[in-house]
Amino acid sequence: MRVGKTVAREQMSSSFEAIKDAVAKYDEDLVKKLVREAIDQGVDPLKILNEALTPAIREIGDRFGRSEIFLTELLIAANACMAGVEIAKKRLLEEKRNTSKPKGIIVLGTVQGDVHNIGKDILKTLLETSGYQVFDLGIDVPADEFVKKAVLEKADFVGSSALLTTTRPEQKVIEKKLRDAGIRNRVHTIIGGGATDQDWAREIGADYYAADAVEGVQVIRKAMEKHV
Amino acid sequence: MKPDLKILSKEELDAIYTSALYLLRNVGVNIEDQETRKLLMGNGCDEGPNNIVYFPEWLVKDCLNSTPKEVTICGRDPKKDMTLGRQKYPYVIPHVLNVNYYDAINQDYVTTTRENVQNFVKVCDYLDTVDGIWIVTMLPQFKEMYMFHGFEMGIRSTTKPVCITTLETQSVEPTYELATAIAGGKEELKKRPLMTVCMCAVSPLSWTKQACDTLKALARWGIQPALATEAPMGDTGPVTFAGDIAQKMAEYLSGDVILQLLNKGMAVLWINVHESFDQRTGMVNLASHGDFVQACAMGQIEKHIGVPILSPVSPDSHMLDMQEAYELGFTLLPQMLGGNRAIVVHGLDTTRAFNNELLLLLDDMVVATRRLLDGIDVNPETLAIDVIKNVCSKIEKGRRVGHFLDQRHTLTWYEREQRPRKDFVFEKHSREKWMELGGKTFVQRAHERVEEILKTHKPEPLSKEIEAKIVEIRRKYKIGE
Repeated sequence: MRVGKTVAREQMSSSFEAIKDAVAKYDEDLVKKLVREAIDQGVDPLKILNEALTPAIREIGDRFGRSEIFLTELLIAANACMAGVEIAKKRLLEEKRNTSKPKGIIVLGTVQGDVHNIGKDILKTLLETSGYQVFDLGIDVPADEFVKKAVLEKADFVGSSALLTTTRPEQKVIEKKLRDAGIRNRVHTIIGGGATDQDWAREIGADYYAADAVEGVQVIRKAMEKHV
Repeated sequence: MKPDLKILSKEELDAIYTSALYLLRNVGVNIEDQETRKLLMGNGCDEGPNNIVYFPEWLVKDCLNSTPKEVTICGRDPKKDMTLGRQKYPYVIPHVLNVNYYDAINQDYVTTTRENVQNFVKVCDYLDTVDGIWIVTMLPQFKEMYMFHGFEMGIRSTTKPVCITTLETQSVEPTYELATAIAGGKEELKKRPLMTVCMCAVSPLSWTKQACDTLKALARWGIQPALATEAPMGDTGPVTFAGDIAQKMAEYLSGDVILQLLNKGMAVLWINVHESFDQRTGMVNLASHGDFVQACAMGQIEKHIGVPILSPVSPDSHMLDMQEAYELGFTLLPQMLGGNRAIVVHGLDTTRAFNNELLLLLDDMVVATRRLLDGIDVNPETLAIDVIKNVCSKIEKGRRVGHFLDQRHTLTWYEREQRPRKDFVFEKHSREKWMELGGKTFVQRAHERVEEILKTHKPEPLSKEIEAKIVEIRRKYKIGE
């Protein structure tokens, strides 16, 4: 039964502020506790997602963008946020309600022959906490797997990471295979990793390049908003 | 463990101190002022020809014993007071000296204005790594009463301690009145010395009439003195380190005797300036190879004789270039690692110019050196075995894929261990990103940061009562704007 309407607006607002504050303090246990308490008090889990957790992680991302916090703080805040997201989503499923439609579906992976995963993992965490559904294929992923997953999940974006100059040609292969599969016109591509840059994106025909994970989220967000 | 850079053994320090006592007893000090000579004669010294006074060893030791080992230099804000002898890190005190401001963007020297000085002090007020400020400036617009002007400009722009240097005895009184007003009375000023005044001995082993008059004025008013000894090696001091230090020590000790006889128990700081004489150019240098060596010895010397030493870091370079960074780093680092308790940092051009952007270079060097002074902690938590285990346990496709970025251990220890900056005055992006951001030089980035600080930082203003007192003092002593 939904009881969200019965919760006073002021109480809800103060509860959301407390959740945002706990995310800003990287306190995963407190985030979980506050989200559970809010749900128990009848606050709509969807509102918790949209009005507390998502703005909280966006603020953290902005602070990172302004060099006010470090990468570790960004990641741990994202993890704290994600712990709250999981609880809210679980409750929505228990109520047999759909979680809000993801803002986009993203397939991510590190290209074949390359095992560097840190940047890709950060992007995944930031995208998930920003409301995107992410399918992380992991490291050393053949181009075919990117394409297969993109077709299967009707992906909006395919993102590939390459840290080595010897492995970045795989990103070109992904572009070709997406074209061969006939889905290149409905899926965006984004590349990143130490061996890549804007020129390389242009050369292989990728839609976007991001220098780091935070820029990656911004690029995807802007592209999706334009697309919608 | 913590680093502790030593350059002198206990026996070598004893030999330097014994030599200083020998110089005072057998070579004597030239003292121009008759009244001061009379004071010394009445307390066990002997007088020779040509105004030379010989100091007995027992008198020097007695006076040194009555000189406080711990000295406080106060600011408007008591929380920012410097207590030399009790602090964790060496205090860092940037210095405004003389008439030039270096415009780093146009690479030009400009005649210092009141605004230049106040902006410099404002940036000092903002930076956590700066503990106080020292002002001695002969701005052409002032004509006289330079110490009063320097003090007034300083306290207006910072709540940190403001030290000053006297160039004319007559400016002591109005400055003292201002310090008294800020402290809230004469007795309060004695408890919280807001006014620390530097004055110089003349090398070798001399006190001029004017210096003696100032010593007497400081003792009479109970104003905290800082005695500067400047004997460039090979010029007015021996070219050897041991001899130069012994001579300067004797000069300081003779000034301390005069002050203790006038006002027993008063704190007397020692400003030990390390200088060398360049035999090619005929110039006095403050950041040559020899100066780096003396800088290193300062901490040991002050511990040995027991009085706090303020020692300068003074690059000779004329612009913000590689030479400037080298000279600043090579003086600051050994001086801090050697344990010197307070460091007075001049700008460039052998103390003749100051500059705002340089403060940001200094800021980072101080952060880095403080970190070095903290050493490496080795304990179960810093060894991080559990964290390494946890990260290594993450395996994907037969490979370890864990990392430390998302570990709470990293969150807890990153800033404490690494002391990273949160701005990009020091450029750490990729070259491509740096180019995208405009490909700016260090000086350009530092300049932008300085502009931002000047725009946003507001030092706590003086109260209406103090502003009124300044007007009153100006009128009373006929001091112009």
